[in-house]
Amino acid sequence: MVRNILIALALAGAASPLAAAPLSVRVVDASGRPVRDAVVTFNPATGARAPRPGGHFTVSQRDLQFHPFLTIVPVGADVSFPNLDPTKHHVYSFSAAKRFELKLFAKDQSRTVHFDKPGVVALGCNIHDGMSAFIYVTDSAWTVRTNAQGIAAFADAPNAPGRVIVWHPYMRVPGGTMQQAVTPGQRAASFSIRLRAPPTMTMTDY
Amino acid sequence: MAFVARRLRFGSAIPLGCALAALWATPALAQSDLNLFSADSFELTGDVRFVMGDGEKSWVRGGFGKLRSSGNGDDVRVQPELGNVNLVWQPQFTWSLSATIVGSLQGGERTEAGLGQAYLSFRPMRSSKLAFSARAGLMFPPVSLEHEGADWHVKDSITPSTINSWIGEEVRPVAVEGTLTAHLGEHKLRATAAIMAVNDTSGTLLTFRGWALHDRTTLAFRLQPLPPLDEEVAEYQPRFTHPLLDVPEGFAHRPGYYAKLAWQLPAPVRVELFRYDNRAHPADANDQNEWGWRTQFDDFGVEADLGSGTVLKAQALEGRTRMGFEMQGRHLVDNRFRSAFAMLTHAFGPFGLAARVEAFDTRNRGSLVKDEYDDSGWSAMIAAKRQWGIVTGLVELLQVSSERESREDSGLEPRQRQTQLQASMRMRW
Repeated sequence: MVRNILIALALAGAASPLAAAPLSVRVVDASGRPVRDAVVTFNPATGARAPRPGGHFTVSQRDLQFHPFLTIVPVGADVSFPNLDPTKHHVYSFSAAKRFELKLFAKDQSRTVHFDKPGVVALGCNIHDGMSAFIYVTDSAWTVRTNAQGIAAFADAPNAPGRVIVWHPYMRVPGGTMQQAVTPGQRAASFSIRLRAPPTMTMTDY
Repeated sequence: MAFVARRLRFGSAIPLGCALAALWATPALAQSDLNLFSADSFELTGDVRFVMGDGEKSWVRGGFGKLRSSGNGDDVRVQPELGNVNLVWQPQFTWSLSATIVGSLQGGERTEAGLGQAYLSFRPMRSSKLAFSARAGLMFPPVSLEHEGADWHVKDSITPSTINSWIGEEVRPVAVEGTLTAHLGEHKLRATAAIMAVNDTSGTLLTFRGWALHDRTTLAFRLQPLPPLDEEVAEYQPRFTHPLLDVPEGFAHRPGYYAKLAWQLPAPVRVELFRYDNRAHPADANDQNEWGWRTQFDDFGVEADLGSGTVLKAQALEGRTRMGFEMQGRHLVDNRFRSAFAMLTHAFGPFGLAARVEAFDTRNRGSLVKDEYDDSGWSAMIAAKRQWGIVTGLVELLQVSSERESREDSGLEPRQRQTQLQASMRMRW
């Protein structure tokens, strides 16, 4: 019985447009160099597939920095913020997608925040100005980040018309994102984006 | 000494104590955030070093030498030394209110212990665009681009520049300071303003000894020695100075101020402007013959991330100090001073490299202290460091060359050159 169901599912899968070649999106900067950690979302005209909701993620504080710098989570995710530093942190966000503040005392304390709306959440620390990170809360199953080669690949994106949306924390563009239409049969897209320099310098804290 | 202790005790410790008492009396004190004596509220840092160098006797022993350790003339002197040991206590009263108290032991050619800093910090939660913070107590003003941490250690080398060595010696007021940080699009602005006291003698070392390069700092109640003074000058100035002092009776009769504006550009570059004026009255003197020194200076700083782990830091400071009554339109001391450095640092993994060059001078046109006290010179430094967990190893090669006519009174050549190689092992618990 189970075997029959699996065969039926395999045949159905082979017959669907999901079996098309992967959709590959390349993101480069104004000089043509690949941009890593750009968030790319594919929205088919037929409607985005919702990601598996929830899940548990971690953004830690270590050596006076957030790790990782960028985290993509689905709507409904819980994110823990463990403090691995020997000093206290005061993690906050003023972003519309999630406003919160967490008082994290020294070492090994953790708090968890539930992210229930899609959008970009910029993180900071009220005590250490140099700490910065981003959480991208998505309501699409087709949201990935670019790798070191600037490539974001959607292995199971449908061969259907839609739009590709690119966001990067340091992108210089009105609205903060760039979009491009994708036609049926088109399995590659590329973006050239302008980036501002990351604010690596911090005001001296005394 | 007792005089100074009395002055500081009644002048600065009591206001700080009153502030703490008022804090304890505040009903809104959030007990759940109280953290006074847990292990997290303490930090111990310290270093030991090997020092190899030539040249003249250090200013630390009352000489003209510009470094922390003396040379042996043309011969190289090698000696192990205790560097600086700091016990930092940072009790937390509420989430927004804490204190920093730093006790220091400084080794080498003159061992002394005492209080380095003691101040309250207030840092409430920011709004989306603005952040406010405040400090009150005995503390370093935010000038140095080379120091970091509550123990105010030098980040990329062992020896700071002449500018920041001087800040550690003679620019440490008791102050009430407020800072406002604003995010304006991709720009970030930080404005700091403070009123201050207990810094009336700032400029004494800079005039009678000149610029120096070392990582010692002045501790509360402690004096700093001066090099030999000629007979006429010695009538007006003892062979020491108390850098943390209100010269007139009482506390903060003539409060001074400092202010700073820092601008973080959209590019990884930050520029800073700092202004200081202690507003001391040059004609004031106490019963130990320590005078008010009206000292004003401006400091310009820039820090730029050049990419691939390379950072450029530079500071330029220019100022003037005047001491004593006026004779024929001139104060006994009227000293214009300036210094500038540029430093490149490069970090790769646990390793770090630093190279710094600087130039400095002073120009005396007082009625008593004239151009024989002028001080001019340059220095160059290269340093390497490696971090192993709580231990940081540093090696530094430093050369300084300076000219000062008043050395001749002690039978020395006006121009002196010193080369120093140091290896330091820093620990942090």
